[in-house]
Amino acid sequence: MQYVLRKMLTGIPLILGVTLVSFALMVYFGPDMTYQLLGKNPTAEQIIEVRHQLGYDQSFIQRYLAYLTELIRLDFGNSSSGEPVRSLLAKTIPVSLILILPGFLLGHILGVLLALAAAFWRGRWADKLIMAIAVIGMSVSFLIVIIAFQILLCSSDGLNLFPVRGWNVQSLPDYLSYIAVPTLATTFVALGYETRFYRSVFVEEMTRDYVRTARAFGLSSRRIFFRSIFKNCLIPIITRVMFSIPQVAIGGSLLIESYFGIPGIGKATYEAIITGDQPVLKAVVSLTAILFVFVMTLNDILYRAVDPRVSLK
Amino acid sequence: MNAADAPAPLLRVKDLTVEFRTMDGIVRAVDAVSFDIWPNETVGLVGESGCGKTVTGLSLLRLIPSPPGQIINGSIELEGLDLLSLDAGDMEKRRGSEIAMIFQEPMTSLNPVFTIGSQITEVLRRHRQLSQRQARELAASLLAKVSIPDAGRRLDDYPHQLSGGMRQRVMIAMALSCNPKLLVADEPTTALDVTTQAQVLDQMRELQNEFRMAVLLVTHDLGVVAETCQRALVMYCGSIVEAGKTEQLFSSPRHPYTAGLLASIPRIRAERIAELPVIPGRVPDPGNLPAGCRFAGRCSHVQSRCHQERPTLRSVNGNAVACHYPLGADI
Amino acid sequence: MNEFSSVAGARAVNRRNSIWRKVLRKFLADRTGVAGLAAVLVYFVAALGVWCGWWGTDWADLGGSKWEAVSAAHWFGTNIIGQDIFSRAIYATSTAFEVGVVVAVLATIIGGVLGAFAGFFAGSWIDELLLWAMNVLDAIPFYLFVAAVAYSLAGSPYAMHVAMITSFWIGTGRLVRGEVIKLRNMEYIEAAYAIGLSRFMIIFRHILPNTSHILLVQASIAFVSAIKAEVILSFLGIGIRDGMSWGLMIEESTKEVLAGFYNNFIAASLLMFGLVMAFNALSDALQDAMDPRKVA
Ligand SMILES: Nc1ncnc2c1ncn2[C@@H]1O[C@H](COP(=O)(O)OP(=O)(O)O)[C@@H](O)[C@H]1O
Ligand code: SF4
Ligand SMILES: [Mg+2]
Repeated sequence: MQYVLRKMLTGIPLILGVTLVSFALMVYFGPDMTYQLLGKNPTAEQIIEVRHQLGYDQSFIQRYLAYLTELIRLDFGNSSSGEPVRSLLAKTIPVSLILILPGFLLGHILGVLLALAAAFWRGRWADKLIMAIAVIGMSVSFLIVIIAFQILLCSSDGLNLFPVRGWNVQSLPDYLSYIAVPTLATTFVALGYETRFYRSVFVEEMTRDYVRTARAFGLSSRRIFFRSIFKNCLIPIITRVMFSIPQVAIGGSLLIESYFGIPGIGKATYEAIITGDQPVLKAVVSLTAILFVFVMTLNDILYRAVDPRVSLK
Repeated sequence: MNAADAPAPLLRVKDLTVEFRTMDGIVRAVDAVSFDIWPNETVGLVGESGCGKTVTGLSLLRLIPSPPGQIINGSIELEGLDLLSLDAGDMEKRRGSEIAMIFQEPMTSLNPVFTIGSQITEVLRRHRQLSQRQARELAASLLAKVSIPDAGRRLDDYPHQLSGGMRQRVMIAMALSCNPKLLVADEPTTALDVTTQAQVLDQMRELQNEFRMAVLLVTHDLGVVAETCQRALVMYCGSIVEAGKTEQLFSSPRHPYTAGLLASIPRIRAERIAELPVIPGRVPDPGNLPAGCRFAGRCSHVQSRCHQERPTLRSVNGNAVACHYPLGADI
Repeated sequence: MNEFSSVAGARAVNRRNSIWRKVLRKFLADRTGVAGLAAVLVYFVAALGVWCGWWGTDWADLGGSKWEAVSAAHWFGTNIIGQDIFSRAIYATSTAFEVGVVVAVLATIIGGVLGAFAGFFAGSWIDELLLWAMNVLDAIPFYLFVAAVAYSLAGSPYAMHVAMITSFWIGTGRLVRGEVIKLRNMEYIEAAYAIGLSRFMIIFRHILPNTSHILLVQASIAFVSAIKAEVILSFLGIGIRDGMSWGLMIEESTKEVLAGFYNNFIAASLLMFGLVMAFNALSDALQDAMDPRKVA
């Protein structure tokens, strides 16, 4: 527990960095909001007044510290539409989670399985076939996959199985029908990358000296591959899965949710950026940074559970 | 027990030839190598780095990485059975139980994420019908045999918790576990310091007698060969250039290469020898070997015939020598 | 230069030359890679023609009526307002090259230089600072970051480029850093030190050239990533603003697709897929050719 706390503390410079970048981009160098808050023909005093409210008359450091303080107090205020940011988050995050999770898991699990098959039959036709498909998968744009699946599965020109877009989930069948196409698309796109990555991990591990030792003592290649090698590979696998969580949590859902009109955190973020909705962005950025540090810590802990060379101190 | 007591050799290697496909073309790492090993005998295999010792050793277990490597010719008979004719599964069963190999790198040769106990018991249970508990007890007694203190508890250690010498002992224990007839030891002590080196070698000698196995000891340390081996094979550029009883080979080398190696052994062995003693000149490029004797470029006895005709192994006063003009021979 | 360092330097140059010869030989033996290179060249010629004004000039003209089918006049048909899809797709090819080349070149230069500095000064505050910057940028999800930059640079047509470069140099930086840490202990670097060459000279003349294999591969990866990201960002409205790109074509086509007209979508998708696929093949072959211990 102490260890976890210490680990989290080392994440502070990172959090500071992320907030600094977001502050610089979104607030300090962001567009001047003065005139959005003023009516027509403002007086000079009104302008000064608003600029003061917005903190435009203060130094970079002062404004950054004020920004940080608000973040630390988790005081996100209301979004520009007047809705409290907390309730917006509480509404959108669960939607994103249940939307993204199946595709995320499927992508990694299938990726590992395909990579295992390819590495096990390295150099044979199964390997070549899987890797050729992976390169093709990697070469198709996410966007094109989404649209193509939508045409094939949702339109009257195609199979017309699932809703075209939107999110009206009352029951499990509803849920499944709405996530079907997004899940298929994310899985398809992830597969190419994941399979290639995991295969290279397995293949690299297959050239280690301990594998040669195991073979010299008569262990079967199946046993060596699925026991000895696989356990060593868990370390890069865990790291890969962990570090794609923050990317997927926001980035992955941004396109999917915008495209399908699903009211999740990705869509909310995208809209907040386009409209310059500061409170929402502040919340998203700080959550992302915290998520990242959290994932890093979790990764370290899992790492130590798998790899005896690093001990929990 | 001596080589002469046994009716037939344990291992008979004939014309073993191994090639690698590389970017620079085909490299013949081992070229028509033939030798015998008799039961319970220790044979040294010496030569400069890159001359093909490891590849020879790996070939005996059919462990040449393929691709890029391939055994393209020859036979390897263990007790009369040609290992090269076995199917993969059959060969797999014989590794560890009939012929085992330990390697130079004690740091990386064991699996870092499993305890040494689980690695030894895994080998034991692969070759013998044992329960997990029996295997564990046996593993502990094997570790004790290789003088690992507190063996029972060491079973639960991971490789990184052991010193290099300890790890090599674990490897030896693993090698002994299924009582193979032949152990190929590829520079087992090169990475260790002098004291540990001597201890490990003593240990190997003792256990070899107890377990009655033959050892092919790959090394570039002639001192180790002199102390440990009854016979020695000298390899150069993928071929055996001289073979014979150790005393005779050391007292009257016939091949200029062997003589060069012996001449440059330091008198006092203060430090372990990291490289073979230097002989002037360079080893020819494996992709571009000379037509005649491969040692011609560095040989002080070279004559014109040496450049044209490749010498083959023949018996000269008790040693087998591949040289047109063997030293001290009356031709 | 004294004799010692020029010998060491010459040896380093020789080593480099012979490595590149081997890489070339191995690359040319890789049929998929050569096919990829050929396809990339075809695309390049298509883009070159646009830059020289040989074709694709009429991409914005209303030369036909709505949704014309494929014909001799309109090879890929026309879009919703009667523009020639072929011209637009070809014009978009040049946009893809512009984005890809600008991003790949700048990201690689920045990654190479900063990575070399971090590696050369590994352990010092310079390295710490650069590592911190890399970690921070890695911690921000890519699309969120691009959107933030687009917002910050309100309306600038280069917001997307800036954002991509800022994100893409990191991978290169990390790899170069690792390689430089290995290189800086080598004999010829010490020789260069011994004769009193400045650190800048050593980094730019002696170290960076020896990471060129990494830079080439990373540039090819950045090129592909940039093209793929452009499509999504343009679609989201935070990418290309002036001109025409495959992303904008796809954005345009989503309305048409709902009405059952697929030409625009298919043209942009296939052209883009072809280029990315060819570049991936090229990039893979380069990596294979350069990795001395590559295990296929
Ligand atoms: N995996 C490999 N790929 C290509 N060539 C190899 C490989 N392993 C060994 N060789 C070739 O075989 C030669 C002999 O290697 P080796 O048997 O390891 O030498 P040593 O006598 O030092 O043990 C090397 O010089 C090299 O050319
Ligand atoms: S054959 Fe000739 S060159 Fe070769 S070792 Fe004998 S004397 Fe020397
Ligand atoms: Mg060796």
